[in-house]
Amino acid sequence: MILLGKIALGLTGTMLAGVGLICSEGMIEVNVVEKQPEAHHVYVLAPAMIVPIAAHFIPREKRGEASQHLGPYMPEIRAALGQLRQCDDFVLVDVQDRDEHVEVRKLGGSVVVDVKDQDDTVHVSAPIRSIASTLEEIAASDSEPRN
Amino acid sequence: MRKTTQLLEAMCLVVASMTGTAASAMAAPGERYLHVKVEDAKEGESVNVNLPLSIAEKLLPAVNKGKLHDGRVTIGSTDMNGIDVRALLDAIRTASDNEFVTVKEKDEDVRVAKSNGNLVVHVRSHDKDNENVDVTIPLKVVDALFSTAKDNELNIVAALHELSDAGDALLITVQDASQHVRVWVDSHSSAD
Repeated sequence: MILLGKIALGLTGTMLAGVGLICSEGMIEVNVVEKQPEAHHVYVLAPAMIVPIAAHFIPREKRGEASQHLGPYMPEIRAALGQLRQCDDFVLVDVQDRDEHVEVRKLGGSVVVDVKDQDDTVHVSAPIRSIASTLEEIAASDSEPRN
Repeated sequence: MRKTTQLLEAMCLVVASMTGTAASAMAAPGERYLHVKVEDAKEGESVNVNLPLSIAEKLLPAVNKGKLHDGRVTIGSTDMNGIDVRALLDAIRTASDNEFVTVKEKDEDVRVAKSNGNLVVHVRSHDKDNENVDVTIPLKVVDALFSTAKDNELNIVAALHELSDAGDALLITVQDASQHVRVWVDSHSSAD
């Protein structure tokens, strides 16, 4: 009985450690609500860690193309994201007109974008660490040896 | 005895975590923000941008493109029209508060003055747009801007650094018939 308990404890511990590892970079949240007559609701909550891994599966040519565009701006991106992580929470951009409201803010360790207009409500939240590692992954793909 | 040891360990952990939190709170100075607010009453639009000065200070030296390099902007010698800006600034700095330039034209008035350590520029337009521009820049910031060794460079990073050390300040306002633009620095993370 004690042995079974120890095994269960070990399995639970391993599972918790696995979940902790997967969620270690935070979660990406996407919430889209359409307000049109046929309302659609899309909600995705995924571990941010999978995004840089998923970037590996983008076709090499496409990644190379993206890398060439991204490469020259990486020093600026690194500096901005590095400092952004250390900042307190703040609203970076807030644009409001008669029909639309767009807000980009830093909240905790994430960048949050909210867009509300007459047709849709969109909410995207992505951890800064994950954005940085995904961009690094894409930028590095240009230097990878081609087969 | 064992319980006492455990209690002591727990207390040490609590004290250590509190000390750590206090130290990190003390180490982090208050962030300063550059705010830009554009309101268009006619179109019903409003744009707010709030940029932490620390981000701008870190980001600018990383940009090396065009005329911007290492946090400095290269300006053409023609932009200065042969004026020795450093000598001019030195003269303004040592002078007492005063109005240096007053231009009155049919459709525009321009005033340049020094007031309470600030360089102040007022432009009043009397044409159909009725545009008013007020610029108030601390002289320390202007000095920092021209603190490079080269005559044809502006040190943007030094100016931002000086701006973050200065107090809350309304730097620029532009008002015309429909639009109102404000640029200011303070320690609030939002424009409200």
